[in-house]
Amino acid sequence: MRGELHYDAVVIGAGTAGLVAGARLAESGAHVCVLAKGIGSTHLAPGTIDVLGYAPDRVASPREALSELVAARPDHPYALIGLDTVDHALAWFESCVGAGPLAGYRYVGRFEHNHLLPTAVGALRPSTLVPETMVAGDASAPEPVCVVGSRALRDFHPALCAANLTRAGIAARAVEVDIDVSRADENALGLARRFDDPAWRAGFAARLALKLQADERVGLPAMLGARDPGGAWSDLEHRLGRRVFEIPTLPPSVPGMRLYEILRSALRRAGGRLILGAEVVDAERSGSRVSAVLARTGGHDTRYAAPSFVLAAGGFASGAIELDSRWITHERVLGLPLRGVPAPEQPRFLGDYLAEQPMSRVGVAVDGDLRAEGADNVLVAGAALGGAVPWRELSGEGIALASGFRVAELAGAGAAATTGAAA
Amino acid sequence: MSTTLSTDVLVIGGGATGCGVAWDASLRGLDVVLVDRGDLAEGTSGRFHGLVHSGGRYAVKDPKAAEECIGENRILRRIAADCIEDTGGFFVTTPWDDPEYADRFKAGCAATGVDCEEIDLAAALREEPRINPSISRVFRVPDANIDVWKTVWALARGAQDHGARVLPYHAAVAIHREGDRVTGARVRGARTGEEIDIEARVTVNASGAWAGRVAELAGIEGVRILPGRGIMIAMNHRLVNTCVNRCQMPTDGDIIVPIRTVCVIGTTDEHTEDPDDHTVFQSEVDAMLDDGEKLVPGFREARALRVWTGVRPLFEDAKAGNTETRDVTRAHALLDHEQRDGVTGFVTITGGKLTTFRLMAEDTVDAVCRQLGQERACSTRTEPLPGSENGEPYRLGERLERKEQHLSDAQLICECEMVNRGKLEDAIRRRATTNLDDIRRLLRLGMGPCQGGFCIYRATGILHGLDGLSAEQANEALRHFLQERWKGVWPILYGDQLRQARLDDWIFQGVLGVGHPPSSELDRSAT
Ligand SMILES: Cc1cc2nc3c(=O)[nH]c(=O)nc-3n(C[C@H](O)[C@H](O)[C@H](O)COP(=O)(O)OP(=O)(O)OC[C@H]3O[C@@H](n4cnc5c(N)ncnc54)[C@H](O)[C@@H]3O)c2cc1C
Ligand SMILES: Cc1cc2nc3c(=O)[nH]c(=O)nc-3n(C[C@H](O)[C@H](O)[C@H](O)COP(=O)(O)OP(=O)(O)OC[C@H]3O[C@@H](n4cnc5c(N)ncnc54)[C@H](O)[C@@H]3O)c2cc1C
Repeated sequence: MRGELHYDAVVIGAGTAGLVAGARLAESGAHVCVLAKGIGSTHLAPGTIDVLGYAPDRVASPREALSELVAARPDHPYALIGLDTVDHALAWFESCVGAGPLAGYRYVGRFEHNHLLPTAVGALRPSTLVPETMVAGDASAPEPVCVVGSRALRDFHPALCAANLTRAGIAARAVEVDIDVSRADENALGLARRFDDPAWRAGFAARLALKLQADERVGLPAMLGARDPGGAWSDLEHRLGRRVFEIPTLPPSVPGMRLYEILRSALRRAGGRLILGAEVVDAERSGSRVSAVLARTGGHDTRYAAPSFVLAAGGFASGAIELDSRWITHERVLGLPLRGVPAPEQPRFLGDYLAEQPMSRVGVAVDGDLRAEGADNVLVAGAALGGAVPWRELSGEGIALASGFRVAELAGAGAAATTGAAA
Repeated sequence: MSTTLSTDVLVIGGGATGCGVAWDASLRGLDVVLVDRGDLAEGTSGRFHGLVHSGGRYAVKDPKAAEECIGENRILRRIAADCIEDTGGFFVTTPWDDPEYADRFKAGCAATGVDCEEIDLAAALREEPRINPSISRVFRVPDANIDVWKTVWALARGAQDHGARVLPYHAAVAIHREGDRVTGARVRGARTGEEIDIEARVTVNASGAWAGRVAELAGIEGVRILPGRGIMIAMNHRLVNTCVNRCQMPTDGDIIVPIRTVCVIGTTDEHTEDPDDHTVFQSEVDAMLDDGEKLVPGFREARALRVWTGVRPLFEDAKAGNTETRDVTRAHALLDHEQRDGVTGFVTITGGKLTTFRLMAEDTVDAVCRQLGQERACSTRTEPLPGSENGEPYRLGERLERKEQHLSDAQLICECEMVNRGKLEDAIRRRATTNLDDIRRLLRLGMGPCQGGFCIYRATGILHGLDGLSAEQANEALRHFLQERWKGVWPILYGDQLRQARLDDWIFQGVLGVGHPPSSELDRSAT
């Protein structure tokens, strides 16, 4: 048996790019469905909107650095998206957070400025729009830092973090607090659930307070609450009488999950539909257009027809793009042509781990309007776009947000013209 | 400044052979110092295929080697039980193999005493459902796999228990001679730069593919090693649970060895000039994957985890004229330089196989005793290695079983290989090392599917805390281990392993920022 559904627009992928595209399309009045094999990399990433951190030197103002970058690299996703769109997308995202499900949780930042926040090893990481719960970690703050961890959490090592911060010229030391766990392998999410509980939090704060010195700010692994992070964070600041900040660490990422909740609820609020566990396995074509995609949910296939599609299925990390054992690269969702693939006789990878790897910039081939080559009604967003090395540039979420925002503008025009189709 | 040690026997080379010599000699009551320029088993022994040969592979081509293998195979199962998994082995005739060979194989096994039983095709395919259904004959032999790091450390520890001193990261840089007598060597600590003069009554050159160079340090010419390079690829799953060999004359890519949670296909044999050259060529990777397909259809769809190469120490004695054939040189070579060159106090042992390391060590220490003019009986045939006293072979699943009993108290640091925090902390203390790769060789840390993606940060944090490292040292440890892991991954990056690598890129470069460690000057420029 095979179901059949019609939408104004179908978005493939529920990472930042897909959720933003879906939410924006829905806000513009389109009847939208987001199909995803699973959740995206939000649950793994720090949840910060990094617009541009390195180019290749550390970036102080993303806006300034981006104008140079897009001039130098016309194939870079930001060059196709346009800087104004980045600006609008950031503003929209902030409003989304405000209207979102996490009361009292805010993002802070400007396009003209990067925060410089400690990582779990104590390196300093440039980031543009970040949860308020992280801001007090900024390198410019005057207070010395007390990095707090617990032996119960294997994914965060405060002494290493503090030692590197000290190297960077920031007075820092580390303390450990005992936390009772039922499983030795507890991760940040497990601990975040405890921080949601006010009584537990009070006990933790009381134990920690004994170890702090007067003028210190407190850095904790990013685990201050999953359901009510704004409340948990301000409560902790209040109880400790000082500034407190979260430091992202190994996946799973609690702030990343909050980001997912924020974007998912924006999509819902605007009337968009999200179907998880729906893998797109095939597409129907008519000429240079895709007329429908086939999504498999638990062995059951459904045909989703729409005048316009957004491919936001990610890149190599999500499995949407693959290099096979015969060294051929494929876009696996819709079979679209790729760009940035090294020629067969060229190296794909280099022996130096931290060098820029030749395979890094592979992505779906698109025109200046993010339209996939050979598929006129498919727009591409997020990590599916090549041309960037986002983990080196620190631009992943920025590109995902801004391109998701942009494709909705571009597809919205087309979709609005063909409304009337119903599920 | 240099310090001096004095001993009966100095062993140069801490591979299986050298460690075997140290164990054997210390059991015979001799005082031993063992040195290696790197970590134990960082040479060929740590870069081999993992197979305890039944002898089947050599039954037709080299009957003497076959006899040695089956003899040692039986001994190792007793003395090194804890290091060995009794997987058993198959020799299968595939459509690409000469069908005539199977009968010669059967006869060869019978003649050399290799236990070999032809089994029913259907039964074999039930046992190993993934192997190519178009095979025509199957023989069962007693192949097994061996964990080489566990083995060399058990040998070293056993030797230490009998008073031996084991010095990894100490390279022999000079060999001392007084006239026609070798009196010991000077070694240099790789980490400290400190030099130690070691006086020894007999010096054993057990440096494998490097044996020619070490012999030259003693002024001995003509110990020519023709390093034969081979490539191996570890796949993410045990595609087979039995060692599967092609039933044909030994050639490339004809064995798949299941070991721990992976299986390894290998290998090749290419002449190389430099035993330290570990370049992997794409053509070799392609050939291995094609060979894998022949034994296990769908092999290419599985995830390749890691690739590495090792160099066989093929010995050619430039002094012995042209009579020796390549086949003869594949057996082990014991050079008593007193007989060969008139130089006393010096013995070279090279060539051979990992399977026969004990026998090589026995022969070597016999020669050492002859030089010392002493009668001391070898006991390694029966004496179990530390950890193997109860004679029970290793079983896959042991680690998981132990872990399940400690869900609430043992924190897992490396999920893939199930290394818990207590074990890691123990190993760091025991080794007193800042090199996570040393820990890997002890515990298999970072050797599973994610190749360190999650455990490298955790292990660095723990190392930093325990060892009181500076931030620089900790950052260096992390980057070094990342680079070590990458080294064996990038030439086989495709499919899911590339996906994994991308995730790791994000973790290390995106989340942790290891590409930009803080510099020592005030680092607040972007504020
Ligand atoms: C561990 C980690 C750390 C990161 N750290 C940072 C960071 O520090 N800074 C930063 O800026 N960015 C970071 N990122 C990247 C950031 O999350 C980007 O937003 C992301 O790479 C791009 O998002 P995306 O929406 O394009 O794709 P993804 O988030 O990869 O989402 C892809 C979506 O497509 C779906 N999909 C794939 N194939 C199919 C199919 N056939 N059918 C249906 N659905 C399909 C997936 O299930 C998923 O929902 C990190 C990523 C990871 C994994
Ligand atoms: C690709 C391949 C696959 C193989 N597969 C198998 C198999 O499945 N089964 C099997 O039984 N055999 C196998 N072998 C053979 C087996 O691995 C070797 O015969 C065996 O490991 C040799 O051990 P060794 O101790 O003699 O040499 P090595 O392990 O190489 O030890 C020599 C040591 O000497 C050290 N050294 C060198 N110079 C100096 C110096 N100046 N000072 C101090 N130390 C020094 C080196 O660092 C090294 O650690 C394989 C070999 C190869 C190449």
